[in-house]
Amino acid sequence: MALNRPSSSPSIFKKRSSQSLSPMTTAASYLSALSQADARARGSSLPPPTSTPALSLSSSTTCSSSDTALNEFDEHEGNGHLNGNGRVDEFYYHSNGDGMGGAGDGLLVLARPPTSEQVFTTVHAEFGHCANESYRYTSRHYPQDAPLDPHVEQDPPYYILLSTYISYLILIILGHIRDFVGKRLSPASYRHLIPRDGYAPLNSDFDSFYTRRLKARMDECFSQPVTGVAGRTIVLLDRISPDYNQTMILTGTRTRALNISSYNYLGFAQARGGCADAVEEAIKRYGVSTFGSRLEGGSSDMHTVGEALVARFVGMEDALICSMGFATNSTIIPALVSKGCLVISDELNHASIRFGVRLSGAHVRMFKHNNMKSLESLLREVISQGQPKTHRPWKKILLIVEGLYSMEGTMVNLPAILELKRRYKFYLFVDEAHSIGALGPHGRGVCDYFGVNPRSVDVLMGTFTKSFGAAGGYIAGNKVLVDHLRINGHSGPYAEAMTPPVLTQIIASMASIMGIAAPTLGQKEDEQLAHPGPAPPSALPNWLTLPPALSSGIEGSSRLRRLAFNSRYLHHGLKKLGFITYGHPSSPIVPLLLFNPGKMCIFHRMMKDRQIPIIVVVVAYPATPLVTSRVRFCVSAAHTKEDIDTILKACDEVGDVLDLKHGIRQSERWSMDEIMKGAVELVETAA
Amino acid sequence: MDTTPVTTTTTSTLEPFLALLARSLATLETTFNRLPGSAVIQRYVKSSHQNDPGRTLLEIILILFAIRTLLQSRTQADRGEKHFIQFSDKEIEELVDEWAPEPLAQPLNARSQHELAAVPVIAGANSHKPKLAASGKTVTNLASLNFAGLAGNDFIKQRATEILRKYGLGSCGPPGFYGTLDVHMNLESDIADFLGTEAAILYSQGFSTISSVIPAFCKRGDIIVADRGVNFAIQKGIQISRSTIRWYDHNDLKSLEDVLESVEKERKKRRQPLTRRFIITEGIFEKDGAMVDLPKLIELKYKHKYRLILDESYSFGSVGRTGRGLTELYNVPASKIDMLIGSVAIGLCTSGGFCAGSEVVVNHQRINGLSFIFSASMPALLSVSASEAINMFRSTPSIFSQLQDNIRAARAILDRVDGISIPSHPASPIIHIHLKSFPPNSLHPQSAVSLASSISSSSGAGRRSDPTSILPRDVTKHGWDWDVETEETLLQEVVEEALAQGVMITKAKRLRGQEMVEPRPSIRLALTSALSRKETEKAVGVVKAALAKVLCKRKW
Repeated sequence: MALNRPSSSPSIFKKRSSQSLSPMTTAASYLSALSQADARARGSSLPPPTSTPALSLSSSTTCSSSDTALNEFDEHEGNGHLNGNGRVDEFYYHSNGDGMGGAGDGLLVLARPPTSEQVFTTVHAEFGHCANESYRYTSRHYPQDAPLDPHVEQDPPYYILLSTYISYLILIILGHIRDFVGKRLSPASYRHLIPRDGYAPLNSDFDSFYTRRLKARMDECFSQPVTGVAGRTIVLLDRISPDYNQTMILTGTRTRALNISSYNYLGFAQARGGCADAVEEAIKRYGVSTFGSRLEGGSSDMHTVGEALVARFVGMEDALICSMGFATNSTIIPALVSKGCLVISDELNHASIRFGVRLSGAHVRMFKHNNMKSLESLLREVISQGQPKTHRPWKKILLIVEGLYSMEGTMVNLPAILELKRRYKFYLFVDEAHSIGALGPHGRGVCDYFGVNPRSVDVLMGTFTKSFGAAGGYIAGNKVLVDHLRINGHSGPYAEAMTPPVLTQIIASMASIMGIAAPTLGQKEDEQLAHPGPAPPSALPNWLTLPPALSSGIEGSSRLRRLAFNSRYLHHGLKKLGFITYGHPSSPIVPLLLFNPGKMCIFHRMMKDRQIPIIVVVVAYPATPLVTSRVRFCVSAAHTKEDIDTILKACDEVGDVLDLKHGIRQSERWSMDEIMKGAVELVETAA
Repeated sequence: MDTTPVTTTTTSTLEPFLALLARSLATLETTFNRLPGSAVIQRYVKSSHQNDPGRTLLEIILILFAIRTLLQSRTQADRGEKHFIQFSDKEIEELVDEWAPEPLAQPLNARSQHELAAVPVIAGANSHKPKLAASGKTVTNLASLNFAGLAGNDFIKQRATEILRKYGLGSCGPPGFYGTLDVHMNLESDIADFLGTEAAILYSQGFSTISSVIPAFCKRGDIIVADRGVNFAIQKGIQISRSTIRWYDHNDLKSLEDVLESVEKERKKRRQPLTRRFIITEGIFEKDGAMVDLPKLIELKYKHKYRLILDESYSFGSVGRTGRGLTELYNVPASKIDMLIGSVAIGLCTSGGFCAGSEVVVNHQRINGLSFIFSASMPALLSVSASEAINMFRSTPSIFSQLQDNIRAARAILDRVDGISIPSHPASPIIHIHLKSFPPNSLHPQSAVSLASSISSSSGAGRRSDPTSILPRDVTKHGWDWDVETEETLLQEVVEEALAQGVMITKAKRLRGQEMVEPRPSIRLALTSALSRKETEKAVGVVKAALAKVLCKRKW
């Protein structure tokens, strides 16, 4: 069964024969095809898998082959193809018959068959294999003392802005008309919005207007149920809505899609490999929970080890771990500041920060996103004015910024902020939810990226959901601060402690980014293992062993460099294709601006319905300003260069249909071929 | 537009200028006339001016005002405040130089430092008999929340491993953006089925659940009537909701009824519109283990047309024949509770929390529950472990009869101990132990306080508490009849004494200074069905001995 079919044809992606929508040239023709398909889908209640109408055509061929994708491992284990530690080297050669995603599902096989020297220990569907060493880049601020380029928000042509406003206007007017008519013709469906039996409605019709009349129209883009690993590819559970998104029905079929949406920056979302093996061992040894809060009988030695390793990783004296990322901010910030203190917050800070600040009772002022001038003038104002009305001096001022902003992809101007910090004596809190692991030559976040000493920042916060493929968050700082937060943060006494499997995933993935090295004789331990150096073996639990590729740090560093390459490639590729993108080129978050609300839905659908389905995240008001609706790509180290090519190609085609290329003039644009050929050059030379 | 040329005595020097003015006015007038609709405006202005010249003036002022308002940016409103003081740059520099902030965090005081160091750290798996990292000793665990005794369950471990090999660990996304896994949907429907509600929604941390649920429904202007003894998470949820809040006496439904009536009276008096109204309380209170009288509560809620937000974090997975919580214990349909919050971390022994209720209630949270939208969904293997826990509850109700046996055994011992009082309900799996207050007739200086308070409270007997304040009525201006520092120190001694004898217990840890009302220091025992009755009796016996040993030193 094994080793009998290396993929031969250059186009390894499966053919979706009959109903491909590819020749659609305009959005209008695409839409009419869609509506026909919709009608057909509604006609037959549940489409038989053999003749799936176009609505779910993305699934039709895939499902027959890859609904077994989840079971593939089981079957393999049954067949004895997997040896004990989950090595799946020969995966790609299995033929259709033995359950391996079947008929050459393009997303499961390598674009280029591996050579005999290359040994891959991971599944290609979870973590793409890329042996070409030139597709690597080091993420660092270069030259070191150059100022950070200010974030420029490129404006689209006026007709785009105008049509965007008109779109919203039409949506709002239509919504009100429908409400007006609907309330009179079918009062039953508005019952939950009007007071009855002496109960006020849970949600007034005014408050819910946006949800009911605008968001409901594009519900198919949100809350898509998935299954399996959120790695390089992801398996969607197909769904249809028979009643204009009021209800969603799972059809029972599945689609494997290229995943450019999960926060899986370093590709540690894996069900196989060294980290998963470590987690399995931890479940055996520790079970699934530690039963209680940290201060009330839920502390285990794993927490101690994990916190010490996190502190070492970020280069701080001490760290504490919290079991949920959102709660790290919302339960710890109130212990940092209180009444009489001032929090200065970037206007685009995450909801969890706002939540925490509101709980703390501290006064809040905002400054323009990443705008150092605005920050400085605000600082001068607040320090000179003191507290409102009383004019007493502030007890303390805490500046809260994010390392990498999740909707914009912009990076904090850390050097400039540290400059201001010296002058204005505020405390600095950097939320590295997205940047930890994803930025810097050693993956240690923005401090590493800019080459500044992490201890010049007072509080470093981050999450494990993103780069480490786990869950939860951490706070790092000096010992006094962290001990204070252990006792006074809300999560210490009240919130459940982090569970051992999650802790193990964090420890294993973090150690493989750092690399493990025993200090050699004659050399001082402090010197060799100083931040951002490797971790000593004593920093890990003694039962935890990582495979050599991970423990040597080779794999970790290759992931960091692959992520940096992919991020820059996608960013510059989109730019050269003519799109408007935001954010820093090294950021793994790449937002592509769509503007018109209608384009969000159709962009999402067109990407999903391609021959190689691609799933994207579209975000709109209220997460972004009204006009700047966008697609947000989250690049991963698990993507291969070919994956990024695929995405660029898809964007190129969809962008032409939807008129999205307003970034640069036609003459300056590159063709897809030029971009694919010049990828390395593009990544290395472009600003 | 209706500016008439100024007729003045013309001097020769001004003539060319005036000519220019007249010419430009003429062009202006012709271009204006050429604009579509200009005639209408002209006619309107003329006629209104003729009828009432004052009105023209008024309209001009209005237009100017509108322009001013539009141009004025909102951020500058702050500067316009009367409290703003204009400083020169030099003054600002000086003020900046002068300003010295407080340190970000003060070092812990000696007691907190000692307590932090004394937090037991478990080596290896936690269970009813864990091994401590510090001493290497195996102890009996009455501290961890392992009510159903699922710690170390092999079947759950096996299922978790299976799921790990299919789903990996993290979900790498919030539920809205490809973070909704099929196993999450399964757990949600499992919980809803188990409780008998229409639907349920899963949050990824138990503690953050209710602090997100409350602000999702309660907005500014809504009315919340809450128990004075609610836990910290509820307090935070209430704080962030900005609703109007009324408090009733802890676990006193008579007081609740009074407050409900007074709220209605007030609304009628002020002719306020109907707003959303909520009663927020807990099933088993985290602070003292008291249990609410659910049928009565539901009766009141229906009578006064309130919605009920019930936090069952400590009762779900611990009371009732199969652990369904208070609704099963009192045989009340769970659908009568509008928002039923439970903890997956405590009740189902993994991680996370849930809110069960009607479809409308649950779907509303999918868009408005802050920590649901903005946080990654919980790891798949924890979710499946929780589903398996529910299956076990259904199939082995003996878990909960064992737990109740242990609770009865523990209470039988503790209720006879002198010098302590137990506010917890006899069926509650968490047992809080308070020290008894100094009797007022002793000569200890502490008793002066309690004497004063007893005098004032007796004089104000029958006095109602103030619903707008969370402070209960027995608090006088002298404060409580107990002292936090002394009691915390004593109780910590008990905890350490018990640990030395091989029983791990814990004080109820509090955020002193951050709670809305300071809870009395207590020791919190958490019973588990993993221990047999004999073992429980033995362990509680050790606690009893430790209490006796420490309290005999206490001078009355």
